[in-house]
Amino acid sequence: MLKFLARRLAGAVVLVFAVTALTFTAMSAISGSVARQIVGQTASAADVQAKAAELGLDRPVWLRYGQWLGGAIHGELGRSWFSGESVGSLLGGKVPITVSLVLASVVLSVVVSVAIGVAAAVRGGWIDRILQTLAVAGFSFPSFVLGLLLALVLAVQLGWLPAVGYQPFTEDPGLWLASITLPTIALTVQVVAATSQQVRGSMVDVLQSDFVRTLRSRGISAPSLYLRHVLRSAAPPALTVLGLQTIGLIGGTVVVEKVFGLLGLGTAIVSGSTQGDLPVVMGVVAIMVVIVVVINLALDLAYAWLNPKVRTS
Amino acid sequence: MLAATAACGGSGGSAAPADSKTLTIATSDGLGFDPKDAQPGYFDQYLQPVYDSLVRPDAKGNPSPNLATSWQYDANRTTLTMRLRSGVTFTDGTPFDAQAVKANLEHTKSGTSTTAGQLALVDTVTATGADQVALHLTKPDPSLLPNLGASAGMMASPKAIAGGRLKTDPVGTGPYTLDASATTSGSSYTFVRNPGYWNKADYPFGRVVVKVVTDGTAILNGLRSGQFSAGAILSTKDGPTAEKAGLHVLYYPNGDLEALYFYDKAGTIVPALANPKVRQAINFAINRDAIVKARTLGKVGPTTQMFSISADNGIYDPALDTAYPYDPAKARQLLTEAGYPNGFEVTVPDWSAVAPEVMAPLNQDLEAIGIRLKLDAGPQLQVYTNTLQGKYAMGWQPYDDNRPWDLTQYQLKTDAPWNPLHYNDPTVNQLIGQIQLSEGDQQLQYYRQLNRYLVEQAWSAPLSPAIFAYATAKDVTASPVAYTKRPPLWTYRPAA
Repeated sequence: MLKFLARRLAGAVVLVFAVTALTFTAMSAISGSVARQIVGQTASAADVQAKAAELGLDRPVWLRYGQWLGGAIHGELGRSWFSGESVGSLLGGKVPITVSLVLASVVLSVVVSVAIGVAAAVRGGWIDRILQTLAVAGFSFPSFVLGLLLALVLAVQLGWLPAVGYQPFTEDPGLWLASITLPTIALTVQVVAATSQQVRGSMVDVLQSDFVRTLRSRGISAPSLYLRHVLRSAAPPALTVLGLQTIGLIGGTVVVEKVFGLLGLGTAIVSGSTQGDLPVVMGVVAIMVVIVVVINLALDLAYAWLNPKVRTS
Repeated sequence: MLAATAACGGSGGSAAPADSKTLTIATSDGLGFDPKDAQPGYFDQYLQPVYDSLVRPDAKGNPSPNLATSWQYDANRTTLTMRLRSGVTFTDGTPFDAQAVKANLEHTKSGTSTTAGQLALVDTVTATGADQVALHLTKPDPSLLPNLGASAGMMASPKAIAGGRLKTDPVGTGPYTLDASATTSGSSYTFVRNPGYWNKADYPFGRVVVKVVTDGTAILNGLRSGQFSAGAILSTKDGPTAEKAGLHVLYYPNGDLEALYFYDKAGTIVPALANPKVRQAINFAINRDAIVKARTLGKVGPTTQMFSISADNGIYDPALDTAYPYDPAKARQLLTEAGYPNGFEVTVPDWSAVAPEVMAPLNQDLEAIGIRLKLDAGPQLQVYTNTLQGKYAMGWQPYDDNRPWDLTQYQLKTDAPWNPLHYNDPTVNQLIGQIQLSEGDQQLQYYRQLNRYLVEQAWSAPLSPAIFAYATAKDVTASPVAYTKRPPLWTYRPAA
């Protein structure tokens, strides 16, 4: 198991290095005019040059990346070129927003996917057909369109939930939950659509296995059979789909955060890359890569727990 | 020709102070609280709660007393003497006086921002009395006094300036102070009433919260659901939706002029553009009415004049807007007379992603007279760089025109930043020089001559001032002020 973890961590380090280097190079290619963006359209050429020198834009890309990497390893992500604020403290307030959305979406996705998948596989018939149709409909509905509809109907028209903004959990757990409900639903639908289908399909396959017939013949209760035995065997493929969907969900937060005015990592990377604020973009990319790595690791561990053969492979 | 149109009520009538009310403004992120790093315009919404400026613009953008109660130029217009309001203190107890003004102007001037650039002609500042200060200029600056009504003239505590933390910890004489405990940087900034403020009547709200929201639709939803009191919904196309929802909507000129700019009037890249007949032909070929109506929903009319941001500036002449009616036949005739019967090709930056309702018809209109546009696509950041490096002979762009003097300095004079190919027009430069050394009616005459000359020479092909939609909630009103990009804080009132 330790060897397994060590291999995963080594791969993660390489991934972080590759992604950050590529991002830095790509951002640097368009950073030429960021000094003008910062000082304004009507500033003089001399002021623009002074700002460019202040930002170090006259130094080679590889040198600047090396300096950034060195700082990042020590937890220093630099300062925003626009606000002058430390990237660490700037993003510190944004990480909880995106992580709240991602975690809430994952938890909701698991609960709803399992419920739908098990119901469809076990009951079959018209329930299965309805649930499959709903799943396909949910899959083809873009999360931002759903988000806009939810905001318009449930927030603006009915006033049940806030249309925009985020309330930190530490300030008011009730308002926190209210502020993430609509964006979480918008993000979850597509994940549920894909994952529930996989749960249903895997469950149907496993239900036809010999060991299930044996367990039934021993008189084991239905809930225990389905949830403790069948679901456990059916889980690995669904876990793979969930993992892929979750990584896609992180990308989906970019759009959903914008729709609901949530200032999470998604909004930060959009405004950062639009402005050319390289330190902010690098900070977000570094954090997102770490989140993806952690998710992958968690899924691998869950997979290993479900399937002992994986631990020794 | 244009006016900021207030729809759905919004008379801005004064109401009794409403200390219990909170004004929540949704806007883009700021640049910190140090005036020396400010860019005039949108970011003033962060600065106005905590800082007063030396003068305050009236509805037409002309300076009126604020922290400075009166002022006078000397005969050469190179020394501006200002008398200061007495009895005002910063919220850290430091007195506001001539030394404070000197410290602020020197500090702001030391930056590299547009705001800092507005003080470029201020050479030295001397305190000629406890409540009197003299600004010594290297040359006359007609925009200086009005600019002291925005971030360039905002006064921070000299102690806070010396402490070096102004960017995050503002200290001013303003109507509110930043409540750090209720502020999350980059997300939400809360300002609470400054109990010792000298002009409370102008700020009826007890609390101001500035929330960072980057999406126009999110702002609109927030306004409709009652979470925000005010915000720019940016696209005029969302204005009718906001009006139907019962919000007050101002269609507000944002200080930009949208035009097809001719950078290469010397003909270095495209020889044809050196001929005024060619530039005039382009002006005749563009169907301004159709383009501007599609872009602004008819909230502002088309123009041929670069001095058109404010119809009240005394320079804009409605008659000149008839100089170039849409007439493709006339355009073709002029091109033939200029020696280009088959037109020519020109590379322009592609703004289709930002303004598809402009680029497509512009392309069509010019194609119809034989001028073929080769669109150069690329990231918007790169467009500015390419333009400033003189890559393009012409291009459509919204330019920050703002005040008449600013237009001459930023676009018209030979070494202006947005005259990237440094086109030298002796008539223009002479008129600019005359404007700089004159005042009052005489100055206005020179401006009018310049305006007429630019139209006759087809210096560019203006389309219209840029406008956007600014909405306030049903229970809040705000009023526009010329040359500002957002309604200033002192114009907000609870609705009657």
